Amino acid sequence: MAVINENWVFVETDLQKINPVTYQLLTKMKQISHDPVVAVLIEKSDASLETELAEYGPDKILLIKDDELVDGDDLELTDALNKLIQKQGTPNTFIFPATVVGRSVAPRLQAWLRTGLTADCLDLKFEGDLLIQTKPSYGDNIMCEITIPNNHPQMATARPNVFAAEKQTNSNLKVEEIENLDWEKDSKLVIKSQLLPPKTTDDITQAERIVALGRGDKTDAGITVANNLAKKLHATVGVTRPLTDLDQYTVNEQIGQSGQTVAPDLLVNLGVSGAVQYTAGIANAKVVVSVNTDEHAQIFKYSDYYFVGNALEFSRALEAIL
Amino acid sequence: MKIVVCIKQVPETTNVKIDEKTKNIDRRGLGGVINSYDLHALKTALEIKQAVGGEVITLTMGPDDFAVSLRETLALGADSSVLLSDRAFAGADTLATGYVLGKAIKKIADVDLVILGQQSVDADTGQVGPIMAELLQVPQVTYANEVTVKNDHLVIKRNLDNVAQEITAQLPLLLTVTDTINQPEYTNVVEIAKSFAKTITTWHASDLQLDDDRVGQAGSPTIVRSISSPEKTVKVGHKLADNPVDAAKELVTALKKQNILAEDD
Ligand SMILES: Cc1cc2nc3c(=O)[nH]c(=O)nc-3n(C[C@H](O)[C@H](O)[C@H](O)COP(=O)(O)OP(=O)(O)OC[C@H]3O[C@@H](n4cnc5c(N)ncnc54)[C@H](O)[C@@H]3O)c2cc1C
Ligand SMILES: Nc1ncnc2c1ncn2[C@@H]1O[C@H](COP(=O)(O)O)[C@@H](O)[C@H]1O
Repeated sequence: MAVINENWVFVETDLQKINPVTYQLLTKMKQISHDPVVAVLIEKSDASLETELAEYGPDKILLIKDDELVDGDDLELTDALNKLIQKQGTPNTFIFPATVVGRSVAPRLQAWLRTGLTADCLDLKFEGDLLIQTKPSYGDNIMCEITIPNNHPQMATARPNVFAAEKQTNSNLKVEEIENLDWEKDSKLVIKSQLLPPKTTDDITQAERIVALGRGDKTDAGITVANNLAKKLHATVGVTRPLTDLDQYTVNEQIGQSGQTVAPDLLVNLGVSGAVQYTAGIANAKVVVSVNTDEHAQIFKYSDYYFVGNALEFSRALEAIL
Repeated sequence: MKIVVCIKQVPETTNVKIDEKTKNIDRRGLGGVINSYDLHALKTALEIKQAVGGEVITLTMGPDDFAVSLRETLALGADSSVLLSDRAFAGADTLATGYVLGKAIKKIADVDLVILGQQSVDADTGQVGPIMAELLQVPQVTYANEVTVKNDHLVIKRNLDNVAQEITAQLPLLLTVTDTINQPEYTNVVEIAKSFAKTITTWHASDLQLDDDRVGQAGSPTIVRSISSPEKTVKVGHKLADNPVDAAKELVTALKKQNILAEDD
């Protein structure tokens, strides 16, 4: 089938709201792509999510208004996307978020199209029309550059919070509504969805400032001072894995490979050693400040500023002048 | 119920290094273990069998020494195992792996439920399950947190980013499970000894009626261009003053200059 010079991004919606990862992927694709960037949006017939989506500068929105497909299972979504490609042509690339939805639908579509798919990318760039995909393996210990030279679309899922979303206006935006996709219904699954209760703590993945507590500051005094410091900084508190033993911290606040990937403007690490499983989650923090009594602490290698000394004393001093 | 569990053998640790000379991953001295998520998949299958009866077959594609991992699944309670081993399978990416595993499921025949781990800890893709489901044309439920059998269907719970789902699924079905679904057991010497009474069947490419250009390297659209250890993120940081009060002042001044802190922070 003919390849069209377009790069597609799948818009993830969770219960009729656009998942912000979509904006991150759109921004990144706009930055690296010399061909039009196309957002594929499935929404209810009375919704108008395309207005919000337009703020992130896609060149085209392929809009599918379908009250049933919005809640479709993976089989139905795969069939619909496949029919969309049959109708429009095969895009050069097709990018999905590396969320549960993206990581489930993309490989099914890939199998149907018999093309390649790279999971969980941390970086994307083009060499001509070839998409160079950087993917971690072995629990983020190894980075691979992967390409799909002979098949289309070149598919990838990309990890949330790795690329920054930036608004931009695109006066050439075209919205193309697709009708009569004729996707096949599957009656074997019945899905009941409900919104999860709002997270009790601030969502660390969205935080612009984070104060992260490690085992070196895991005392009652240390935790209290760190929380006060966070308040003064308008920061969210994050932790390393050992602190999830405590009642007040869970995997939702844990930063790292088996916790959350964060992307704050400012990250202050207090008594964190900098194990690779932790640093896997902070690669996208802009400015990193670390405090550790050990002058050879690994975390210093990931820090823009560091203080060799006691975390409690430093946090007290910092809190006092803010 | 006839259940197949797909297991992969992975290196004992993911803390691997790159061999500076060959630029390949240095796996010397690393033993193999069953991918941890697949132990949860096996446990899920064994619990379903306990509830409604049936048989549990474990399946892997890999070199002959993956038989050790299959033996372990037999000791843990699987009824029989199938090893897919052939030189032609080497260099397979997820698409070629899913294709061969899917063909094996067809040959096993009349399979009601296929269960996989949510991902393998070395490749970290989670793609093999959905690929198989598409090739077998069965529905899938990925990242399951909870599974219960009710009459002739399954009730499954899973979470998306902000959404909880409860899914009622008819069979046949392909399921992938997270590591919170159950607590896998360890095996013991007695069970391992007993497992030798159970069979591991080996199938080669010629047993599966495969399309040659869909297996191994030829059937793999993805190409690994290069691999590296991500040391390059390392920063050369600025050491703050030795006294905590001076250090705090120095930091605040620097952060305000970069607009990371606002003037009124
Ligand atoms: C598969 C796997 C996944 C994992 N996932 C994660 C993950 O997602 N996130 C995570 O965090 N960990 C994870 N870990 C654990 C990880 O390997 C480390 O054990 C953990 O990050 C260490 O936490 P820490 O830095 O708080 O503690 P430690 O390593 O114990 O470090 C404490 C540090 O505090 C310093 N210190 C001591 N006293 C003071 C003081 N008074 N003032 C200042 N500094 C002080 C010490 O010098 C030391 O550097 C994972 C491990 C595995 C095997
Ligand atoms: N070679 C293999 N043989 C059998 N099962 C596999 C193989 N590779 C992957 N799997 C299964 O697919 C799941 C996802 O693996 P992956 O797509 O590699 O992340 C694993 O948890 C296994 O259940």
